[in-house]
Amino acid sequence: MSEYLEVLFPRQREVLINGDSTGETNVILELEGGKYEVTLSPPPNFTPLQHQIDLRNTSAMTPMQIKFEEI
Amino acid sequence: MAASLSRSLIFVILLVLQIAACAHYPLNQQSHSFDKNAGYRFDNLNAGPRNTDSLFVCLTFSGGGTRAAALAYGVMEELRQTRIKVDGEEKSLLDEVDCISSVSGGSFTAAYYGLFRERLFQDFQTRFLERNIQGALTARLLNPVNLVRVASPWFSRIDLAGELYDREIFDGATFARLEQNGRPLVIMNATNLGPGRRFDFTQDHFDSIGSRLDLYPVSRAVAASSAFPFLLSPISLKNYPQAEGYEPPGWYKGALEPQDWASRRYNAAKNLNVYLDKQNAYVHLMDGGLADNIGARAILDAYERNFIRRRINQGKIKHLVLIVVNARTESEDTLSRKESPPGILTVAEKTATIAMDNYSFESVDKVRSEFYARVQTQKDLEAANQRLDQYCPQAPKFPPFKADVDTYVVEINFKAAALVPDEDPRYYLDLPTSFSLSKDQVEKLIAIGPKLLRASPQFQCLLKVLQAEAEGRPRPKECPIGAGIVGN
Repeated sequence: MSEYLEVLFPRQREVLINGDSTGETNVILELEGGKYEVTLSPPPNFTPLQHQIDLRNTSAMTPMQIKFEEI
Repeated sequence: MAASLSRSLIFVILLVLQIAACAHYPLNQQSHSFDKNAGYRFDNLNAGPRNTDSLFVCLTFSGGGTRAAALAYGVMEELRQTRIKVDGEEKSLLDEVDCISSVSGGSFTAAYYGLFRERLFQDFQTRFLERNIQGALTARLLNPVNLVRVASPWFSRIDLAGELYDREIFDGATFARLEQNGRPLVIMNATNLGPGRRFDFTQDHFDSIGSRLDLYPVSRAVAASSAFPFLLSPISLKNYPQAEGYEPPGWYKGALEPQDWASRRYNAAKNLNVYLDKQNAYVHLMDGGLADNIGARAILDAYERNFIRRRINQGKIKHLVLIVVNARTESEDTLSRKESPPGILTVAEKTATIAMDNYSFESVDKVRSEFYARVQTQKDLEAANQRLDQYCPQAPKFPPFKADVDTYVVEINFKAAALVPDEDPRYYLDLPTSFSLSKDQVEKLIAIGPKLLRASPQFQCLLKVLQAEAEGRPRPKECPIGAGIVGN
């Protein structure tokens, strides 16, 4: 069963999930449900440096949204 | 004279004991280094000059002895003959095959192509398909030296089969050659008898058992994948400590939360745990058909949490195609017409096959459902955004996927021979599961593969869509997105 995640960031940046390159910011990512560590690829000019998420009960039209601020 | 005979007898007995004691199956070798970006894993394989990610093609070759190997071979020939144009470059559809998941008899064709490529179409038919492999195995077993060797508790019939395949079919090749050849990734499936789970010969599994896949003979992987219960014995691997610096695959972290116990990700993590637990010091493998006789589960895993999922999220895959080559047979149902209940042999045969056949059906259906769900989600998002444009143009749009995926599941099976003129499905459905078929049977099986592929409406849609794209025309109306799953 698929769950949906949108990683918000002011610009396009590679998204790393559990350390693996998994798409990019500001589009919907389709994943299996459960716990993940989400961060962005370098440079580390964002905060927080990592989100711990528990991805469940989403749909493509209501994805989980997490946000990284640019610093 | 008597003393001389006794001495000779003692000498012979000692010799026999020595040969038996020396006989041991070849052990997989321990790995002392770990590199998550190296080895026989999809992301590390060279795509080659004519393979794109935008058209992503995977094949599954089912079990079924020589019958399955020959049907798979026929389909490979048709893929080779099918000319397509992708990103302006003309090529064969076979050039675009990215992965092959195989079981039992199908593993012979998959491994041979993975190792020798074009040679498959030159000598595989004579080297394997038309050979009496069962007879050759029996002859080896009856060799007096081998009779002594199989008396050893560490050497058995499957090891003789492995030696035969190594010498006479796979030329001593190891997985290093598969890795050097690049795509397609060949995933050979076996069944781990201990936990009763699927085991595939990929880098992820060999990393978890701390072993060198690059040095492992392809012949033994094929032997494990096709070790038919009772006729052959299990292939055994040693489960070593993981190499220094080992990390499980990315999807594993966080997968074992107790509340997720019913999820497929949790189940996959539990499967990996079997090998991370070093109390399980050995892995005993038999025919992949016991766990999944169609090969679809490996593709499903790649779609849900591995290399296919990553490429979809990265927007690299435009057309995702799975061609399932299913050599399943089905005897005519005469039981339902009889008053008397079936005898014990029939009950035994049904016990061995009913669950396997039902699971195969469900496995393909699961892939079909997953691929179709993606298409429906894309359509829902597009429709919702169109409605917003129409009725509330100021409202923000729903975020998109990086790219939409056009999915296809093409299933080749003998029942579909009813769609082919002058073909009788019953001929194929009654063929035995054996590693010895007549030349006539092999030739018919090879010939039906291309016909079944061409008769598939999903396959025809794929070709029409690719042709329209190559010519810059709009997508054919008779093949909307989704027709690659449900037909048109």
